Amino acid sequence: MNEKLIIGIDLGTTNSLVGVVDSGFPIILADSDGERLTPSVVTYRGNGLIATGREAVRLQQLEPERTVSSVKRFIGRPYDHLSTEEIESSDYTVQPGPSGGIRIAFDEDHSVSPVEVSSEILDHLKRVAEAALGHEVSRAVVTVPAYFSNSQRETTKAAAEAVGLTVERILNEPTAAALAYGLDKLDDEQTVAVYDLGGGTFDLSILQMKEGLFEVISTAGDTQLGGDDLDLAIATAIQERLGIDNLSTSESSRLRAAAREAKEALSSANTHTIRLPFFRDTESFELELSQHEVEALMQPVVDRTRSICQRAFAEAENKGASSITHLILVGGSTRIPLVRRCIEEWFEITPNLSQHPDEAVALGAAIQAGILCGRVREVLLVDVTPLSLGIETFGGLMNVIIPRNSTIPAKAGELFTNAVANQESMAIRVLQGEREMARDNWLLGEIDVPFTPGQKGSARVGVQFAIDQNGILEVLSRNTATGEDHVLEIRNSAIDVDDTSVERMVSESIDHAFDDMNERIWTEAHMKSEELLPAVDSALELVGDKLPDDEIDSIREAAARVKTLLESDVRDAIALKQANHALDEATQTLAALLVEAAFE
Amino acid sequence: MGMTNCFAILGLSESLILDPGDIEASWQAATREEHPDSSHGTDEHRAAALNEARATLSVPVNRLGHWLQLKLGEFEPDRSIDPELMDLFASIHSALEAADSVISRHQKSTTALTKALLTKEAVNVQLAIQEQMAGIHSFKQSIINSFPELEKAGESGDFEGAKRNLGQLKFLTKWEQQCQSRLLPLLDC
Repeated sequence: MNEKLIIGIDLGTTNSLVGVVDSGFPIILADSDGERLTPSVVTYRGNGLIATGREAVRLQQLEPERTVSSVKRFIGRPYDHLSTEEIESSDYTVQPGPSGGIRIAFDEDHSVSPVEVSSEILDHLKRVAEAALGHEVSRAVVTVPAYFSNSQRETTKAAAEAVGLTVERILNEPTAAALAYGLDKLDDEQTVAVYDLGGGTFDLSILQMKEGLFEVISTAGDTQLGGDDLDLAIATAIQERLGIDNLSTSESSRLRAAAREAKEALSSANTHTIRLPFFRDTESFELELSQHEVEALMQPVVDRTRSICQRAFAEAENKGASSITHLILVGGSTRIPLVRRCIEEWFEITPNLSQHPDEAVALGAAIQAGILCGRVREVLLVDVTPLSLGIETFGGLMNVIIPRNSTIPAKAGELFTNAVANQESMAIRVLQGEREMARDNWLLGEIDVPFTPGQKGSARVGVQFAIDQNGILEVLSRNTATGEDHVLEIRNSAIDVDDTSVERMVSESIDHAFDDMNERIWTEAHMKSEELLPAVDSALELVGDKLPDDEIDSIREAAARVKTLLESDVRDAIALKQANHALDEATQTLAALLVEAAFE
Repeated sequence: MGMTNCFAILGLSESLILDPGDIEASWQAATREEHPDSSHGTDEHRAAALNEARATLSVPVNRLGHWLQLKLGEFEPDRSIDPELMDLFASIHSALEAADSVISRHQKSTTALTKALLTKEAVNVQLAIQEQMAGIHSFKQSIINSFPELEKAGESGDFEGAKRNLGQLKFLTKWEQQCQSRLLPLLDC
């Protein structure tokens, strides 16, 4: 009915929301149960039915291998970018697709792509909006982490389009939160930082707000860092304390749920008791955790946000931004007192808690949707591209064409010429990332620049790289002789997936999945042992005199255990991994002493 | 891709000496007026042109390059390196090598212990890099301070000084970026 209306969608790792602007104000739409948060969970049931949201969460305990949560971590990424931990830590089976993408496999003849899972969630949100508004909707603003790459953005867009939603804008989450924060402060001049720590991703963006113009100055982030990592750290520690090995899928799923519950409870309480009745057969477990203990487990994960913030601050300063007046917290994980304390300590600023951690991004998406359909005036948002865009040059180097933190839309041209006579075309690899060597960056794909036949150096083709307001790349070539422009296709094998070959590949690889995994764990554990053993010797030599004898003994003992397993003929990958871990634990004090000594 | 005039796009005078505040103010006014998302906006091409113009003019080395391009058409910057710059390069180069070495060993480390073994070296290398950056900065600043003279020489058709300074600024900017890119990984060490 209302063809002009645009909805705003926050497609989160853990939860998703949908909102609109109504009479000038952004609101979140509730579903028929009155709930505003939809868990980003989809169950592909054994009986062929698909359940989404809270229903899927209810089914998670029953069908853990068929329930997909946190799929956002996988969208738009090639399989070979995944770490062993990422593959192992999911309850569902993650496998390589035929052309390098990711497939989630349930059994030999049923698998889905991360895009399909995201589509289910988006379809659910579309229906929530339609039920609440009483008419159909077909246009949306969808948010993504600011640090999402080109292909993560493109695949998110494709997921929405697959369910009949035209994506009017891919909007960065921290930027959306800033809109929600600033909508009622249009007369103020402020420089704000948004610290957005969600379920699976972290972003920090710095914006200047002036008379309704919201301008992003710099952004930095990590698309694989969030509450899930905190849960995993806690779950691993619980497992060790309980002394249980070889977890089944449903056991690890229960353990992770218990860890999450503990994390949430300990955000306000000082102690929490984990109860796992009939955890394995008739055996039940109980364990008391203190806030202090859990904070120590979470600290290394939270610490990873620090240098990311420093990077964004440094770039904002380089660009002449004035000092930050407010640091706004959004994302569910910023409820954790430890996170708030760290920020305060690191940056000497009291975090601004005025925004609802779960709802600010969706409200911002609704506001941007309102701007685009004319329901919100006097507000304008200008964002930046998070990653540098470049091409590979001779010698495998990355030549930056559009630097990170460039205001979008952005464009830049390069001139290419034929290196030999009558060369028909030239293949150019397009990259995204910050590393000097091309191979260390994210390969967006290849383009072919066509040449008119002629003498060496006679063909001149201008190529324009343009990043649109969604942060998505388009490449145009212009023949300087004719002045003709045309769009160059960017070939990327990891995004296009041919479905028929997928099924076959998946069933083939399922048979080998276990062997592959054991081999992969062994190789990684082996490398870690080789790294640790000599380090133990040098560290003991340097600062060993500051350690009590019994601690040195236990370090030596743990090292001996690693050595034995390493040299054994039986390749026990799990045991070696555990022995490494024990040695790692045993040397924590030693490591701390070394760091202390370095600053003396 | 035809010659665009970034000064004209933002309605600024074609000068090497521009106040950053003026560049910002012109960009903001034009963006409010013409951004495709604003109610009376135009298309993305115009917004992209405004962004490109600001990015060019607000960075001195890019501004000098663009100014020369407008004056001379296609040209080659003078890439000769004077001895003072050569000396600076030598010391930057060794600092960068030291940094890369410690960063790469740190990245390969997967345990707290092996990382901790590298901390002291990382702290020293970080200080060395910061020292190099201070050197680069003052060198750059002295060139930027000479912009009025370059502009004056240009009025009488002499662009040799500008071309030489552009070459030097390009080197300095590249080295500055190289140093900058090592700083944050070093902080992680």
